[in-house]
Amino acid sequence: MPEIIWTIIEASIKALAVVGGIQLMAALNVYLERKISAFAQNRIGPNRVGPFGTLQPFADVFKLFLKEDIVPKNADKFFHSLAPVLSLSIAIAVWAVIPFSSYVDIGDRRIYMGIAPDINVGLLFILAMTSVGVYGITLAGWSSNNKYSLLGGLRSSAQMISYELSMGLSLIGIVLITGSLSLNDIVNHQLAWDGWRWNIFLQPVGFVIFLITAFAETNRAPFDLPEAEPELVGGFNTEYSGMKFGMFFLAEYANMTTSSVLIVLFYLGGWALPVPAETLGLKDGSIALAAAHFLVFFIKVLMLLFFFIWVRWSIPRFRYDQLMNLGWKILLPISLLNVLLTALGVLYLK
Amino acid sequence: MNWYNIVFYLFALIVLVSAAGVVFSRKMMYAAFSLLFTFFGVAGLYVLLNADFIAVTQIMVYIGGILILIIFGVMLTSKFTDLEIKSGTTGTVQYVLAGISTIIVAAALIIMYLNVDWVQNPVPELESTVKPIGILLMTKYFLAFQVAAILLLLAFIGAAKIARRK
Amino acid sequence: MYNAVVNELIGSLGLIKPELALLVTFVVVIIADLIFKNNKVNLGLSILGTIVSGIFLIGMSGTNTSAFANLIAVDPFSEFFKYLILISTLIVLVMSEFSEELHNRDVWMGEYYMLVLGMALGMFLLAGATNLIMIYLALETMSMSSYILSGYTKEIKRSSEASLKYVIFGSLSSGIMIYGMSILFGMTGSLDLYAIQSYLAANGFFQPAIFISGLMVIAGFAYKISAVPFHFWTPDVYEGSPITITAYLSVASKAAGFAVLVRFIKLTFFDAAGSSDESWIMMNSIPWDMVLAVLAVATMTLGNIVALWQSNVKRMLAYSSIAHAGYLLMGIVVMTNTGLMSILVYFFFYLLMNFGAFIVVMLFAHKIGSEEMDDYEGIGYQAPVLASLLTLFLVSLTGLPPTAGFIGKLVLFGAVLDSGWYWLAVIGVLNSVVSLYYYAKVVRNMWLRKVDNGKGTLKFSIQSQALVMVLGIPTLVFGLFFGPIMRWAEHSVRIFLGN
Repeated sequence: MPEIIWTIIEASIKALAVVGGIQLMAALNVYLERKISAFAQNRIGPNRVGPFGTLQPFADVFKLFLKEDIVPKNADKFFHSLAPVLSLSIAIAVWAVIPFSSYVDIGDRRIYMGIAPDINVGLLFILAMTSVGVYGITLAGWSSNNKYSLLGGLRSSAQMISYELSMGLSLIGIVLITGSLSLNDIVNHQLAWDGWRWNIFLQPVGFVIFLITAFAETNRAPFDLPEAEPELVGGFNTEYSGMKFGMFFLAEYANMTTSSVLIVLFYLGGWALPVPAETLGLKDGSIALAAAHFLVFFIKVLMLLFFFIWVRWSIPRFRYDQLMNLGWKILLPISLLNVLLTALGVLYLK
Repeated sequence: MNWYNIVFYLFALIVLVSAAGVVFSRKMMYAAFSLLFTFFGVAGLYVLLNADFIAVTQIMVYIGGILILIIFGVMLTSKFTDLEIKSGTTGTVQYVLAGISTIIVAAALIIMYLNVDWVQNPVPELESTVKPIGILLMTKYFLAFQVAAILLLLAFIGAAKIARRK
Repeated sequence: MYNAVVNELIGSLGLIKPELALLVTFVVVIIADLIFKNNKVNLGLSILGTIVSGIFLIGMSGTNTSAFANLIAVDPFSEFFKYLILISTLIVLVMSEFSEELHNRDVWMGEYYMLVLGMALGMFLLAGATNLIMIYLALETMSMSSYILSGYTKEIKRSSEASLKYVIFGSLSSGIMIYGMSILFGMTGSLDLYAIQSYLAANGFFQPAIFISGLMVIAGFAYKISAVPFHFWTPDVYEGSPITITAYLSVASKAAGFAVLVRFIKLTFFDAAGSSDESWIMMNSIPWDMVLAVLAVATMTLGNIVALWQSNVKRMLAYSSIAHAGYLLMGIVVMTNTGLMSILVYFFFYLLMNFGAFIVVMLFAHKIGSEEMDDYEGIGYQAPVLASLLTLFLVSLTGLPPTAGFIGKLVLFGAVLDSGWYWLAVIGVLNSVVSLYYYAKVVRNMWLRKVDNGKGTLKFSIQSQALVMVLGIPTLVFGLFFGPIMRWAEHSVRIFLGN
């Protein structure tokens, strides 16, 4: 069989695995969110469905499937149905370039853990997909023919456009240090130095900015203005019900996972083990090493997910003008300065 | 017919159909949305040309920036439904004249495209397109790169000036 | 590894000192505007920067080379246009100080200076650009600033309207231009004008394709010089913009457009082998001269004839500026160095008289609150000094002796006749006769109507009258002693033709 067939088969398997993984992660997120919020509010949280309520997310999805799908009379039917699909598919599309472990050698074939993590514009691709992500929400707001939805949609697009700038600029620091836009290279560069050359130490300012903008880009508290209940009912998804609503829900949690994964990859050393791989007796390209890498990576992601949820239940929401001020007048100048200083540092220290 | 051609014609079809959608849509929002697919299709064509950097930039700038602003404009200025693109004087005369001039322009372009001996450089096998582009921008096209920065700064100042109340 | 390239770039920086001076001023004004928030400081800095740029430009005189890997050429030809642009910028900066339109409305002027400087920078680069990308970027830098400047007094409806029309037509013409550029690039595989020329010279080509693409690129430039049929924006934009910007657009922006038009035609379609200084041979046997001749005739005829019906002086001057673009195009049609020289001479005089006329119209508008021709009746006796000067400028624009405008036309028509374009010269002269009518109408209204209208004299500040004098005296003096300008122009026709 020609090479291209193998490539296609490999990519399809990986894609299926990734899509399945994202759904499972979303379920995990829902469970964590409910449990942690319960803890934060001194409640017990879900505890009826399955042991410790672990099957609760599946019950939630089941419920959404069975609900009636309502499309408002004057809504734009086509866009109303398209918006949630768009939201979810773009949230998943980002994963085309995201690696989640090192590689495995099978025979003379090297298989990377990720659909196409070695593409040399990976980082740009992520930024591009993030900016495309606005469409789902904007369209949902517009097509519902409801003023609250429209306001929610407008707010979220304005917010995402404003914070994208700082997000992109904060990543330029990393690109300058690594000299590559490929995510594999970025992680490998952090591995090179005894496992502790994490970008968070080289780019503390960039890390903070990226963290803040990640919250804004995922519309999570304290940046969840698009769905501020007291002002906007439910925001852009007011008019959605059933599985369409579920898709927005899923997209939001997929984005949260993506953000955590990106933070780990860019700043927290990716799958870097705490000790060099040789001391554990694991060979490069072996399945065991890849599994160990994945485990480390997964634990880091879980910790960040916890952080996301923790923040949501602890910090109040911004006012709209505060949000814009923060984005344009504080984060943007700081991230520009960060780029300048990093460039000087790379020029004179490297 | 190899893989490359199939993919090429697929993207070309997307571009053409969606571009027709932009032109013939009665609703502004539909036109703007068709444009989204046009941009995507063009980005796909860039990928086929081994210009991955340009492709991603195309998505970032046109889809993530410009089109969002267009849609913003439509959302903020129009009623939500039944917005028809109207124009003052479109009578038969205008249609005929526009049709004739379109045919002339199209014929001229088609004749030209068929007859010109286009320069076809071999596609270089590059490890990464980003680095060579960066080096070119910082050496051969240094001045153009800087002028582009000034141009954007001017646009920024102008936009702030227009948007401000006084 | 890249040391050689970097050294070359650093060397090139020395060749664009005037541009760098403008750029530094631009940045300094942005910062000063934030710190001092004082219009006088901004104005002072802008004028200072312009003068410094001028000093650097004098220091560069005679340079004939290219910089930044052939992106721009630094040669006497571009230098001449840079002087024109600098002088215009200086006049506009001073002129804005007198403009009540800008100052009386509580409009913040900080951005005004930034944009004027940015526009000047764009025009500087356009005057020297020898690469399609550079041409496009410089053109857009200039256009972007002028779009905003023309709508600077945005609370006046017609000003915003002017800005919007300018943007819409401007983006269309840029689009056409860049499409033409892409075809040219596809045919030759290069963006460098020298490389395109040598590729075209070495290979046989499908002629219509070169013709179409060249025409598309020229359309982009024709828009900037408001040549027919790309002139639609001109009257509305000129009428709606603040009058300082109208004057700037009609002189400096046009100068930059002409500079790039001449350079593009000469460098791209010029047959180096078969030409001497005195006559340029265009290769590929495409009759570019005929195309330009048609453009010139259409431009001046339409400009002059429509100007006849205008009752608003500003609008009349807009159409007259279209007509002047037509005359200037004749200088390119002949495709000789003499023709080029006549363009330069004409442009220098055109700068003086056009700016002069616009300033007087602005000052009158402040006092009588109108730019209508009918309101000028009897103004000659209310403001004799300025009215005489306006008369001088209008006579010069018509091209009658003993003014500079006469010399300009003389040199121009002489060059056209020299190379045997008799019918073109005849049309040009007939057009000048037509133009006499509408210029004379203003003069008649000022001096011969309502001689005794009983209104008191109008008071103008000494400084504003002095500014008009600064333009008026040369208009008269150069009409008699034009030798220096002719010699300067003769030295400035050298275009850098590649290594």
